[in-house]
Amino acid sequence: MPNTKSPARRVSTYRIVQLVLGVLFAGYLLWRIYVVFIGHPTYGPDTWARFLISGIVLGSVYAVIAIGYTLVYGILRMINFAHGDIMMIGAFGGYFVFEAFKAIPAPTKANPNLNFLNAQPIISVAVAFLVGGAIAALSGYFLEKIAYRPLRTAPRLVPLISAIGASIFLENAAQLMFGSQRRDFSNPTMLTRGNGWNLHIGGSTVILTYTGVLTVVLSIILMVGLYWLVMRTRLGRAMRAVAENKQTAALMGIDVDGVISRTFIISGALAGFAGVMWGVHLGLVYFYVGFLPGLKAFTAAVLGGIGSVPGAMLGGLFLGLVESVGPGILGMSFQLADVIAFGILVLVLIFRPTGIVGEVLTEEKV
Amino acid sequence: MKRQLHLALNAGITFGIVTIFLFLIGFTGISGALLADLFRNKNANPFLGLTPIMLNMLIFLALVGLWAGVSGSRKSKGQEEDPWAPALLGGLIAGLVHGIMVGLVALLVGTLNLHHVPMNIYLAALLPAAIKQFLLALSPNQGALFYLGLFTLTGFLGGLLSRGVGRGVWRVRAGANWKTTWDNFNQITAIKRARSFRYTDYIIYGILLVIVFLVPLVAGQYWNYTIGTVAIYVLLGLGLNIVVGLAGLLDLGYVAFFAIGAYTMALLTAPTPHHLMWSFWIALPIGVVLAALAGLLLGAPVLRLRGDYLAIVTLGFGEIIRLLSTSDVLTSFSGGPRGVPSVGGPTLFGKPFNSSIDYVYLIFLAVLLIIFVTNRLQNSRVGRAWEAMREDETVSRAMGINTLTQKLLAFAIGAAFAGLGGALFASRNQFTGPEDFTFMVSVNVVAVVIVGGMGNIPGVIAGALVLKGLPEVLRELQDYRVLVFGALLVVMMLWRPAGLIPSSRRKMEERKDAGVIEAPQEGREK
Repeated sequence: MPNTKSPARRVSTYRIVQLVLGVLFAGYLLWRIYVVFIGHPTYGPDTWARFLISGIVLGSVYAVIAIGYTLVYGILRMINFAHGDIMMIGAFGGYFVFEAFKAIPAPTKANPNLNFLNAQPIISVAVAFLVGGAIAALSGYFLEKIAYRPLRTAPRLVPLISAIGASIFLENAAQLMFGSQRRDFSNPTMLTRGNGWNLHIGGSTVILTYTGVLTVVLSIILMVGLYWLVMRTRLGRAMRAVAENKQTAALMGIDVDGVISRTFIISGALAGFAGVMWGVHLGLVYFYVGFLPGLKAFTAAVLGGIGSVPGAMLGGLFLGLVESVGPGILGMSFQLADVIAFGILVLVLIFRPTGIVGEVLTEEKV
Repeated sequence: MKRQLHLALNAGITFGIVTIFLFLIGFTGISGALLADLFRNKNANPFLGLTPIMLNMLIFLALVGLWAGVSGSRKSKGQEEDPWAPALLGGLIAGLVHGIMVGLVALLVGTLNLHHVPMNIYLAALLPAAIKQFLLALSPNQGALFYLGLFTLTGFLGGLLSRGVGRGVWRVRAGANWKTTWDNFNQITAIKRARSFRYTDYIIYGILLVIVFLVPLVAGQYWNYTIGTVAIYVLLGLGLNIVVGLAGLLDLGYVAFFAIGAYTMALLTAPTPHHLMWSFWIALPIGVVLAALAGLLLGAPVLRLRGDYLAIVTLGFGEIIRLLSTSDVLTSFSGGPRGVPSVGGPTLFGKPFNSSIDYVYLIFLAVLLIIFVTNRLQNSRVGRAWEAMREDETVSRAMGINTLTQKLLAFAIGAAFAGLGGALFASRNQFTGPEDFTFMVSVNVVAVVIVGGMGNIPGVIAGALVLKGLPEVLRELQDYRVLVFGALLVVMMLWRPAGLIPSSRRKMEERKDAGVIEAPQEGREK
């Protein structure tokens, strides 16, 4: 009989192929780990510690951006493609605050050339984060209002294309306004990039940078705060209700449009904070700075199970670690770190689109 | 009245932001140069101390101000009567707010410029010369007052104008007039007869074709290069049209297949990395087949995903290809970041192709072939299966369509077209490098398909002409091209999601949708 394959049978062969590929991949990974750590150790423990530190810092930034994706996806079932560019706007906000404070003189007797940035570093950094977050939140609000709200009931691809358009628009508006050169983020001297505590690991020193610690601490605060907001407040409850079912939520007296607007404000603010963190820690801002982190944060959100806030946090950390440790373990060139990130994106979406801790999505949602 | 006030304030603030934005991206100056080209008065004598560029810029700004007035004096919802006072007041207030905002910015920027603050370090467009031009060589105070006056006046005039033509009613009327004209036109006996004559379409297409084929003979070297690029985008658009327009699969990594075609052509015919130097005519089909195979390979695991996940996976795949071609890892194989120079060209009957005219005709032939194939596919069983799948996957599966096979087929055919386009592109440019294959290429092609009209051959051609041809005509707008691209994508999605020339099936759907009062939100998610 030519056509006896039932759909159920076909699915199971697919599963077997998945399983075989998965086992092969895991085997390869174990072998590489054996080679790198025991067989022919290429790097000493200090190098691994450096990788680990940079991975955690990068991962916490990804996690903060990924929460924005996950919040919006959870509620609207749409990928906010312009999220990375909102982050770029936030980064520029922080940059301009630092530049402005640098221009304000605050001379003291000991140092007549002192400027406000170095005289009051804590205030400067706080203002930079607040301004970056506020500008990004505002952009998020208007982005939703102009580009997404009229398309609320349109087929799913329409808002995605609109989001891609908005992303291109924001990038190029920034390029035309601020120029295409890369700008150095001028941190206060207290937070000079590369300065930090020296740790002694395996006979050599590893620097735990101040900026890195600031980034990690701040992102932990943000994540805890957001988790509290979503789980414990009235707005959070309304957000979860809207994510579950818009119509029923509306019947329960929830202002659906208002909740969606506020979600965009929150996710925009998070992206803005992440942008300033990115600038403070990595030190470069330019119009395209949001594209790759945005894409990777989306990967992180998918990895953790899109729609789930703790998933986004875990996914972000995992992706940051994989990106910095992965090339070392797989013995690849460090130029290919991004290839690993995108490779993970493709693999996760193919093999486990629900992510690590994701809910069991119905086929309709996937 | 209160509503009108609200409307006018909104319009004033919006237009204020837009005008300031245009100034900050340096568009106001460019608009002057553009209009000067249009009116051919670039070398006219200064008038009242204003250079022709400034005058032209003022014309542009006055138009923006008028628009603000018209927008601010719109009829608010539920307003039945149509008195003069709210309209004029609305225009005036919108203009006033617009003027105050622009005036304040002009004052600030002008004063800072007077004190030699180098603003262009931070805001690239604010060169001292550009600021001077914006202030019409006046002092900051005078300039600010001038803009306040200009926008208040034009806003008021806008209100007058909009009330004069009946506040929005004219729009409906113009639409109705257009429709009756079109109906009358169709009533003419000759037209009727021509319409029923079955070869009319072919004759029209034939004439168009002859015209298109004659153009390269009169166009110069540069224009033929541009025409070739537009035609390659038509090719890519038609390929993606099968994937996005017919099968409804958003592919954001389409550039990967384009790159595969181009690199195959380059590596097989160029002397540098491998010294193969095969003939163009052997490399071309290999490129197409390899691209199709890549489509199958990527599609097989990925096509189980729906909608936006598919878009992101394809995007990731495209980025992987680009990153690999930029990195040093593959330098010995594919030239790395420096690309592959001196890609071979075709010879026909012993005559090598060397002028851009030859390539234009070659690409035209490829486009014709693809149009033919697409047309046959679209009206075949496969094409109908694709469209059914696009509309509702579950239902189409119930109708006995094997969706996975059909998706794979669409993906592979689309990839093959991209491979063909890539091979021709590499051969024509005689060079292939990673910077030809950025994410923007994918976006451009998606934009071509969407702006033109999804699932529709004339639409794709129109899209390629508008998006790739127009920027070449308006050279001054080069810098703003991508910006307009992004805005156009958003605007098209908001106003005409079916594209410039919607396919007939889409048109029918829209008409059907217009009758529905409000579709439940969850049910329409696809």
